Amino acid sequence: MNCPVCGAEHFSVPGGGKAAPAGERLCPYQGVPYTGLRAGHDQIYFGRWRRIDASTIDLRRAYHQLERLLNGIAVALETEDIPAARSDLGKAVEALHTAGPGEDGPEALRYLDHALSYAHRVIGDLLHEKGLPPHSPADFAGWYDAGEVPFREDW
Amino acid sequence: MIPLERYPKEISLRDDARVVLRPMIPEDADGLWSFLRQLPEIDKAHFHEDVDRREEVDRWAKSLDYEAVLPILAIRGDRVVGTVTLYRNKTGWKQRIGIVRILIAPDHRHLGLGTAMIREIRHLGEKVALNYLLAEVIEEQQAAVRALERMGFEKTGVYRNFVNDRKGHLHNLVVLLHPMSGLEK
Repeated sequence: MNCPVCGAEHFSVPGGGKAAPAGERLCPYQGVPYTGLRAGHDQIYFGRWRRIDASTIDLRRAYHQLERLLNGIAVALETEDIPAARSDLGKAVEALHTAGPGEDGPEALRYLDHALSYAHRVIGDLLHEKGLPPHSPADFAGWYDAGEVPFREDW
Repeated sequence: MIPLERYPKEISLRDDARVVLRPMIPEDADGLWSFLRQLPEIDKAHFHEDVDRREEVDRWAKSLDYEAVLPILAIRGDRVVGTVTLYRNKTGWKQRIGIVRILIAPDHRHLGLGTAMIREIRHLGEKVALNYLLAEVIEEQQAAVRALERMGFEKTGVYRNFVNDRKGHLHNLVVLLHPMSGLEK
């Protein structure tokens, strides 16, 4: 079930539990700037399509999720003057189109991964303009069925 | 003219510390001097000048010319904790290439400040219509190399035993380029 706050599919409490003690859903993204973009990014980042046993359906789903994420980013960028981010968004769209909606195999995976990386950088640019640190999926890994917790390295 | 209306700009680091980014002014000589003194030797290897001499830092501070050298300081409280500098040629065949140098105080590394500085310099590079940003980093500074790559810089070469530090030891030099959006058009 999609979270009513951020729209992503994540656990309702961190660590894989299905519900908070009082039975209500919690959202780790509640109150953070660019809630939908961060959650949309992480839903893809922790998605099944990156696993070794991913199916064609998983890849197709990731493609459409990425398409929605990039559309959301484009809307957010409309009111911002960040040329580098616009350029990266263009590269993300190009990578997504190269991956194609019905493709599978290592090439499609690689381009989807590139598109997601560019998207992450643009979200980071949007946050930087607001004076905030970049989005780190590692902070939210506990809310997903993450195969591995991403390594975080800041400089 | 390089657009500087976005400064001062306040940003948060991973430890929730607030840091102000702004161009260096002559009155920053004291802060810059203190900052340079805490840097490890390897970070100062690229300087042409002897930055262990106070009069050299004073000379810099008095001769600021943002169109040629734009130092952006990261200031926490009243302390300089990082600098990113954009070097440009006003004329000639490299006038569309900006050279980037980033220095971060040792106790402010791995907090996202370096990445924030790279974002700033990308922004400024776009605003002054550069074609490329160029960064040269000693290979031992792997965190910097990875951060630059994550921000769109591409490693174009590694020159073995190419540069020497101030004690004469040789180091590998990594050259990274960032193509700007104007070039892609």
